[in-house]
Amino acid sequence: MSIVADGLTVRLGSTDALRNVSFEIPSGRRVALLGPNGAGKTTLFRAAIGLAQPAAGSIDLGSDRVAFVPQRLEVDSSFPVTVADVVGMGRYGDLGWFRRFGERDRRLVADALEALEIADLAERRFGDLSGGERQRALLAQAAAQDARVLLLDEPFTGLDAPTRRMLHHKLESWRSDGRTVLVATHDLESASRDFDLVICLNREVIGFGPPAETLSEEVLARTFAGRVVRVGELLVDTAHHHHGAG
Amino acid sequence: MEFLTDPFGAEFVRTGALAAAVVGVLSAVVGCYVILRGMALMADSLAHGVLPGVAIAFALTAGSAGEDPSEAAIYAGALIAGLLTAAATSAILRRSRVREETAAAVVFVFMLALGVVIVSRVEGYAVDLTSFLFGDVLGVSGGELAFSAALTVAVLAVVAVLYRPLLLLSFDPQRAAALGLPVERLHLVMLALVALAVVIGFRVVGALLVLGLLIAPPAAAALLTKRLPAMMAVSALIAAASAPLGMLLSWHLDLAAGGSIVLVAVSAFVVALVLRPAAG
Repeated sequence: MSIVADGLTVRLGSTDALRNVSFEIPSGRRVALLGPNGAGKTTLFRAAIGLAQPAAGSIDLGSDRVAFVPQRLEVDSSFPVTVADVVGMGRYGDLGWFRRFGERDRRLVADALEALEIADLAERRFGDLSGGERQRALLAQAAAQDARVLLLDEPFTGLDAPTRRMLHHKLESWRSDGRTVLVATHDLESASRDFDLVICLNREVIGFGPPAETLSEEVLARTFAGRVVRVGELLVDTAHHHHGAG
Repeated sequence: MEFLTDPFGAEFVRTGALAAAVVGVLSAVVGCYVILRGMALMADSLAHGVLPGVAIAFALTAGSAGEDPSEAAIYAGALIAGLLTAAATSAILRRSRVREETAAAVVFVFMLALGVVIVSRVEGYAVDLTSFLFGDVLGVSGGELAFSAALTVAVLAVVAVLYRPLLLLSFDPQRAAALGLPVERLHLVMLALVALAVVIGFRVVGALLVLGLLIAPPAAAALLTKRLPAMMAVSALIAAASAPLGMLLSWHLDLAAGGSIVLVAVSAFVVALVLRPAAG
């Protein structure tokens, strides 16, 4: 049930988006995937769910119960789905094409809406939500899916502080259920505090392991190509500092 | 009341109005996916891409003595040409980095030019080109009406069976792929549904205006509803109402029927735009 990447290489056009990436994540860990823009974080997710073909090597998630929450979902604001519909799509994998929503499906959807505190938005049109609310609806969809492996691409971007805390609680409860959560993030402080393992990625794996052992200045400098500065006890990725603060 | 009932006294007008309503419902439902997936240009490309198929069918089945061409052959020719247009566009997109709208436009002008060249070699088709471009709703036969109705039922059944996969494909293709759905094949199914709507639609409103039936009712419905099943139902209602209303206008004001039907459908969109509750 562990996630295994073995010499994974993905080419986009003539460049290597990922080069010889290998790691093994035991199940039930929270893993932060750190790296600057263009480091291949999204490509790693796309390869994991079969949307990007490896030129060499492989990545195996160890389960076919996988939820993926993209960084942004470009949807026309008039798209005719309610928030409840979007969260309900999390159940499609188990229900298949025809089976009607049963008691358990309804409960999972209701629990997910509750957990992300968007139950009052359930009947609103998804396109009418703010960016942060959309993000919460997509996270609720992943929660309703009851997946063993969750891949979250920059889920903290655009969330306010209370929602970030709520998401951290959710990550914690997923881990205690034995689910594996892989989170792409720019937030070094959170990566060192809230995660069991970190992967420092810049097209190849620069460092992998528990944050305290892995996040050395040398690894961070190589990962972020010199854009990391030390501010007191904090390491800050200068290229994304503004996003983090805003 | 006579104002309303008079035109429908004649059987060929009733048949035409029914055919327009049936085609309208089919286009209105399939058109929901066209606007949700931003495939309007692709749909227009299919509408014009049927020309060479129609022209070849005409050339093969219309006798030199001036007998009528076979209706079945024309529908078959249109459908084959429409599917070829969709397949050629998809093939270009798979093999190159050409943008989708460019690929669709290149295939569309190729098919249109091919059609024009073939038409120029077929005697007697010049007259019929008018009905190809502008439709001939009053020339629809009972057999054609039955055929359109059967096809509409079949397409609605496919839409019902594939409701979840097609919704997911439209909303979030990445997620659809992550769930293991055959995204590529579902996209081709969607194109085939559009091709079917186009093939039976061009007979009624013409190749130039078939896009109107695919776009206007769903665009109006999208403004008034917040769930896909409701959008499809409202869109189908608008289309079904536009057919007899358009025919009435056409009868009393002596206007082209296909154009009148599409004008009514587009008016519904304008009304929806005005009525729409302010976006929250």
